[in-house]
Amino acid sequence: MKKISVAAACAAWLMSALAAGAADKPELRIGSVVAMTGPASALGLPEKNALELLQEQIASDTSLPFTVKFITYDDASDPTKAVNNVRKLITEDNVHVVICCTTTPTSMAILETVTQAKVPNISLALGQSVIEPVKDRYWIFKTPSTDQLQIQVLVDDMVKRGLKKIAFLGLEDSFGEGGWVALQAVAKAKGVEIVAAERFSRTDTNFTPQALKVRQASPGAVYIHAIPPSSALVHQALKRVGYTGPIYHSGGSANNAFISIGKADVEGALLGTTPVLVYGELPDSNPLKPVITKFAALYEKRFNVPKVDIFPGQSWDAGNIAILAASNAVKAGAKPDNLEAFRAALRDKLEGVKEFVAVGGIFNYSPTDHLGLDQRSTFISVVKNGEFRLYNAK
Amino acid sequence: MIDTALFLLVDGLTNGLIYALLALSLVLVFTVTRVVNIAQGEYVMLGALTLADLLQGRMPGTLYLLIGGLALCILLDAGRWRRDWRGALLFATGLIAVAIAAALITRMALSLHFPVIAMMAVALLLVAPLGVLIYRFTVHPIPDASTIVFVIISVGVSMAVQGLGLLIWGASPYPVEPIAAGGLMAGPVFIPYQAIAIMVVALLSMGGLYLFSEHTLIGKALQASAMNRLGAQFCGIPVNLAGGLAFLLAAAFSALSGMLLAPLITANYEMGFMVGLKGFVGAAMGGLADYPLSLAGVMIVGGLESTSAYLASAYRDVLVFSLLIPILLWRNARQRVETR
Repeated sequence: MKKISVAAACAAWLMSALAAGAADKPELRIGSVVAMTGPASALGLPEKNALELLQEQIASDTSLPFTVKFITYDDASDPTKAVNNVRKLITEDNVHVVICCTTTPTSMAILETVTQAKVPNISLALGQSVIEPVKDRYWIFKTPSTDQLQIQVLVDDMVKRGLKKIAFLGLEDSFGEGGWVALQAVAKAKGVEIVAAERFSRTDTNFTPQALKVRQASPGAVYIHAIPPSSALVHQALKRVGYTGPIYHSGGSANNAFISIGKADVEGALLGTTPVLVYGELPDSNPLKPVITKFAALYEKRFNVPKVDIFPGQSWDAGNIAILAASNAVKAGAKPDNLEAFRAALRDKLEGVKEFVAVGGIFNYSPTDHLGLDQRSTFISVVKNGEFRLYNAK
Repeated sequence: MIDTALFLLVDGLTNGLIYALLALSLVLVFTVTRVVNIAQGEYVMLGALTLADLLQGRMPGTLYLLIGGLALCILLDAGRWRRDWRGALLFATGLIAVAIAAALITRMALSLHFPVIAMMAVALLLVAPLGVLIYRFTVHPIPDASTIVFVIISVGVSMAVQGLGLLIWGASPYPVEPIAAGGLMAGPVFIPYQAIAIMVVALLSMGGLYLFSEHTLIGKALQASAMNRLGAQFCGIPVNLAGGLAFLLAAAFSALSGMLLAPLITANYEMGFMVGLKGFVGAAMGGLADYPLSLAGVMIVGGLESTSAYLASAYRDVLVFSLLIPILLWRNARQRVETR
């Protein structure tokens, strides 16, 4: 056993010496685990594609102080597999930074593993719990926006329109609960009163009683935290019982199913959105526009898709941020060959990422903020003539 | 206040009608085969998604399910070839003919763009035989199993069919065109025409089933098997055929309910289970055996659901399913009085 490992070490040394001889540069190893199969594969596959695209793009980039090697595994949307593969990345592939995972449950499962191994991780999951509380999530960062951020922007709009009494309608699962908790916090901070809170489930056949209750509380605005079909059906029910005020939706409804189900009834619906969905309508002065336009063109051409959605941008950003932090670490004198020290240096440099314009927004990580996004990265879209349009240009 | 109460009453009754066809299916299956069919709601899903596929011009995945099921049926019959090859050959040919006919009808419906009502008929032709197949695979091999075994099996069937639904159609919801768009105002309440269509179909189905079981020989055979399985067998009634027929009719009623429901809530793979369970609570009122009482039961379920969704939306399912407890207590008390 010892002999083999000595031989392997020799071989590895020889290989790295050869590689170094060829490129004269150290190697940065980025390991990622995404859900290429299983229930979350609709998110995971585009994420894998974007990492592939990044690898191709970076290969010809000679300005970096290292060569980049991507190692990507599938977790099949399964937390146990995610943990095993992350462990493999850390101990066998000796990666400097991990990008994992697609969903909140898988990302939560690997927290312990990366924290104990002292490896920085960038998650692609939506859940705020992945990075909070920050003091316990020292090694964890994430790129996707959160419910809370979107709700803040929506509530700001309500306040701006003078709507101080609002109603909440949400799914009764963990997704709806997340929205409810976030809305309560935001409403309290902004001095908005929640006059009704009603729940429904995805498999309900009737949403009229809840809609009636909400209308009778006469709120100035209604916020619906759900996904289609129920988000669109609740919207229709509100219209049917005679509610005429503005209706706001979470980002979970910002997809085509929402419009194809709600049809004319959802005209005028306001939704929290990430920049990717509305970048074409941003003013040219917005720094996000050129970055997203370039990424969208690359991705759409490479994978032959008509319109890029939000998921590939999240892993693309994670990869780019990892490379940025790594090159800053090298500039500060850290050596990628010294694995442990470089992992720690890379993590410190992640917290030093400032004003980094990416696809998902403008990132400003800090020791107290591992989300890095603010309201400049969140937009409201409105349904107009059966399409999502930008509502408030910034 | 009065307005709200009236609103909830009408809303609840409309709601209850959606469960009525399910309760009808459950009673039919239970009386003839003693199966408490938890999987009954899955036919709602199959019916809705099949119709969605047909209306959007896609080959429905149900056709492949049907062909696969028929093939499996022929395989299960393999043992008969040595004993009685003529019978087996006839059986296999018959099933293959059914598969080909189903495929041809579907192709024709798709290429000729049938109107909605005709498409519903085609979808029924595709989904209803699945009921017989599931009977053949799960109930037929163990005719003497206890009720609890059948319950457990039907839970398994439900999971399997829902999984197949997810595999075939994916998780995304499909909008379905209503038979008639719009609706009318009944006092303060808006009633979609679709809800009225559900009511009409539910009443017609119940009437049809009543006439069928009272005035046809097959219907009487069904009734006999329901009353006393062994006795019916002694009288020369093929109880297995009766069981298959019960599953066929129940699948058809439930699928029909799904097709009528889909325009109100879209068709998706997980839509059936809850509808099935709520139909079950209603049918429990009639002890899974009494049609009029079951109908009253689903109306109470619908009314309670609407009222509780209005008063305490987070607890409405809890309240609806808690209704089982008073129902069972009431039935128990009634039974004791009867036996005394």
